Amino acid sequence: MTTRPSRSASIPIPRSTSSLSPSRNIESVISIPFAAPGRPRLSSAQAFPHRSNAADDHRGLGVSYGTRGSTNTAAAYSPTRPTARSMTLAAGPGRGSVRAPSTFEPRVVRASGEASRSTDTACLPSTSPSRTRRQSISGVRGTSAQRPISTYNTPPPPPVSFARPAYLEHSAFRHMLQTESPPALPPSRKNEPTYEHHGYPAAMSPPTDSDDESNVSPPRELPSAPPSIVSHDQILKLPTRWSDQYRHALLSVSGDGRDLTYHGASCSGDRDAAAARTINPIPSACGIYYYEVEIISKGQKGHISIGFAARDVKLSRLPGWETNSWGYHGDDGCSFAAEKSGTQYGPTFGTGDIIGCGIDFTTYRAFFTKNGTLIGPVFEGIGKDVDVYPSVGMRHQGEAIRVNFGHEPFKYDIDYHAQQQQNQVWTNVLNTPLDSSLLDVCSPNRDVTTALRTSSAKTPLSEEQTKDVINQLVVSYLEHHGYVKTMRTFQNRHEDVGLPPQSLDAVQPATDDHDVDMSGEATLQAPVTHADTIEDDVERRTKIVKAVIAGDIDTALADTTSYHPTVLAAEEGLMLFKLRCRKFVELILEASELKKKMRSRTGSGYGGGSGSGISMARDESPVIEEMDGIDEDGMDVDDEGAGPSSPLPFATNGVASASTAGPISIPVRGNRRRSSASPADVGEVGLVGTAAQYETALHQAIAYGQTLSSDYKDDSRPEVRQLFKRTFAIVAWEDPMTAGGIVTEVVGHEARVTLANELNQAILKSQGRPTSPVLETLYRQTAACIMQLGMLGVGSAAFADMPKEFLEG
Amino acid sequence: MAPKQSIRKEEWGRRLHDVQVTKNDLNRLIMDYLVIEGYKSAAEEFSQEANLAPPVDFESIESRMVIREALQRGDIEDAITRVNDLNPEILDTNPALYFHLQQQKLIEYIRHGRITEALQFAQSELAPRGEESPEFLSELERTMALLAFDCSPSAPAGISELLSPAQRMKTAGEVNAAILESLSQGKEVKLVGLLKLLSWGEQMLEEKAEFPRIGQM
Repeated sequence: MTTRPSRSASIPIPRSTSSLSPSRNIESVISIPFAAPGRPRLSSAQAFPHRSNAADDHRGLGVSYGTRGSTNTAAAYSPTRPTARSMTLAAGPGRGSVRAPSTFEPRVVRASGEASRSTDTACLPSTSPSRTRRQSISGVRGTSAQRPISTYNTPPPPPVSFARPAYLEHSAFRHMLQTESPPALPPSRKNEPTYEHHGYPAAMSPPTDSDDESNVSPPRELPSAPPSIVSHDQILKLPTRWSDQYRHALLSVSGDGRDLTYHGASCSGDRDAAAARTINPIPSACGIYYYEVEIISKGQKGHISIGFAARDVKLSRLPGWETNSWGYHGDDGCSFAAEKSGTQYGPTFGTGDIIGCGIDFTTYRAFFTKNGTLIGPVFEGIGKDVDVYPSVGMRHQGEAIRVNFGHEPFKYDIDYHAQQQQNQVWTNVLNTPLDSSLLDVCSPNRDVTTALRTSSAKTPLSEEQTKDVINQLVVSYLEHHGYVKTMRTFQNRHEDVGLPPQSLDAVQPATDDHDVDMSGEATLQAPVTHADTIEDDVERRTKIVKAVIAGDIDTALADTTSYHPTVLAAEEGLMLFKLRCRKFVELILEASELKKKMRSRTGSGYGGGSGSGISMARDESPVIEEMDGIDEDGMDVDDEGAGPSSPLPFATNGVASASTAGPISIPVRGNRRRSSASPADVGEVGLVGTAAQYETALHQAIAYGQTLSSDYKDDSRPEVRQLFKRTFAIVAWEDPMTAGGIVTEVVGHEARVTLANELNQAILKSQGRPTSPVLETLYRQTAACIMQLGMLGVGSAAFADMPKEFLEG
Repeated sequence: MAPKQSIRKEEWGRRLHDVQVTKNDLNRLIMDYLVIEGYKSAAEEFSQEANLAPPVDFESIESRMVIREALQRGDIEDAITRVNDLNPEILDTNPALYFHLQQQKLIEYIRHGRITEALQFAQSELAPRGEESPEFLSELERTMALLAFDCSPSAPAGISELLSPAQRMKTAGEVNAAILESLSQGKEVKLVGLLKLLSWGEQMLEEKAEFPRIGQM
């Protein structure tokens, strides 16, 4: 049924043999169990020589510092947000770098982007306050006096830390998508009414200490750990920063990995360009991926290309010039996809513009936005066959950009965009026609021949047939789990509703698809016609299952023997052995329960009588309650069993003919409950009686165990030996129920439920039925398909969110 | 294109096993079906047997079903009255739904050969609405064409299908969905969605990989 052992089946991809430093792998690797070995998409840049992450950072810092030292002009390096920039421009070249020693702090008014960067460099990635501050919409930074500003003396900045952007919550694989840090509060989209260029509220608000929590923007409500169809140990790393490795020498990368600045003589001709890409490729499991680039300075010509590139595209070319690269160019607004002269696409862009760059893996098209407005889809087949990375290229002195991979809220409402696309994909899914192969899959008496027939010609299902399929799914599910009453009611009702009203038939004109209708009805009738026998069968099975859960192994054994004899003999009597072991456990529990009673009576000074009966009942109550709790949450078929026919271990008592029981002959007692076992009776019999009962119970248990031992002494199967050892070990504990650990695992209520499940499945199997309900198989198959699709780069799969569509709400 | 990947049965079996879904999840899928399709007593039983909280008031299921049965019987007037009893806003805010109900009523008139009433009804109720939207108008035209063919089987399929039980079911389904929506309850049966997703997923995956289809494990 639903017992689910720990999911440990993540299969790490064997990394490349030329394995580099482990940390490098951790940084860039996508650990995917469902690897498509031949697919470049799934491996990342490990083929390139590279140093460790830490070294990367060092170097990144070194590079940018070095550059800054030589070209310390505001024009070349102005990382500020628009507002700040407007002041920067006014203030002229003296503005300086944020990370310069704090000798220069012209104004208290600082834009959020800038301030957050200094936070980035100064704070540990894992400290959530820093994240929170970063997300602050009105993230007004106070005087930076108490904020450490990076200097040459400070340690190198840690990897940029930000939460998974909110729009990625629409991906069914969101749990696998990670930035460097564990996901926390994702930034919500900025929702200021205006996006006027120089009107960031950050600049308008009075300066306050950013540590003040009052500035925190309302956090986006995160779904509380929604169920996922993937295991959590698979991680797809999102792009978080420009690579220090895969960038042209003329570009410097800032310490936080977000800024790119062009340095060097301005070049003429297409020969000279400089591009950079991110460390991590874009996982297609995002469904849609989006990032934004702010043009800090377009220099003189604005020869800036924003887009995507495959891993090995030449860094001396602008994105869009080479094969496997795509770009939107600022100087002419053209789009380029492996072409020399572009195609007219959108407006030009320049200093202060924020260009958004998205890729939609459901259509394998890209789209761009300018200052929060969608320009439109562009390019075909992007990201389909090759991994792509965010990439930016520049050509002239003075050009500089700053990227937002989700560090801050986006200008464009990408969240809405992703949601729309998800709806679109889901609509497509719901428009998928169902075909006749499902009739076989869901048919109640499916066997090998029908399964083989599945591959034959498929015809679309009529509405009636679809209904039949669903009804069969429902009935078989109810039947499997023994929801007898529901099943009966459903089938009765089903006949009423399912068939068209008779009055209609009279006036109904002849339809030409009678054959289809007939076959639909035929399948519909099948379960109904045999309803009686099926119901009897289910009821018998349910009774057996409930008996096991109630600890009444004798009844379970007797009924199984009568109705499903092959079950006990199957696998050389393994099921019988398991049941008999459980029987032994029940006997031991019974004895230990009596002993506890004895002790409690001695301890509390009660001599006997009804009073002690009550006290004992009270003593037991914790156990009862605990079990009832499990009953309700765990197994459903035991509703009745858990009630009147007490789940207490001493529900069964003693065993007859135990000593004569052979491997197949089953010990069965007609009267399974001795009245003396009930608490009230025990109370009346008194201490002496209880002691005697205990003795008897213990002896019976031991005798049963000895028989069991001798019956199976020749069975050397490991699982038999193992179970035997475990079962007998419980004798060593005074109260196995509370001993904890493996002992309680063996004796506890969960063990009964598990055994009952096994028996249920064994019975179903003996009848040639599937051991899990078809519905469950369907669900699992579907989830596995979606997962596989996601891993094979089919972006649409990311928007087929099964837990969301089927399990929530 | 990367070559088709092949996934062996054991590997696939492991993945199936790894899928996270509980019995309770599946129970809720069943409940969703029982509720939306209006199996009231079955839903009640299931709520008890499976220890599931009912997602909606069971009485609302009942009234939904009475309405549906009225529509399937062809008693449109009764259905409209009951929908309005349940929640007058449903028809007020759904002009298309209301039109389809009126159209169904016209169809029933024609079906029973009550031509005079049909004409009168069409002129007084439907024609004014037909002017409201092109969709309504074309539907009205299609329906009126029934008169021309006098319900004969020789009528084109697009017209004679209006007399089929499927047309009643379609209208009933629309009403059902609208009521469910007014109760903020999902209106698509999730089990159907699951089947469709399975078909979609298997088709897509077939292009990319060899894997055991459902029923082949």
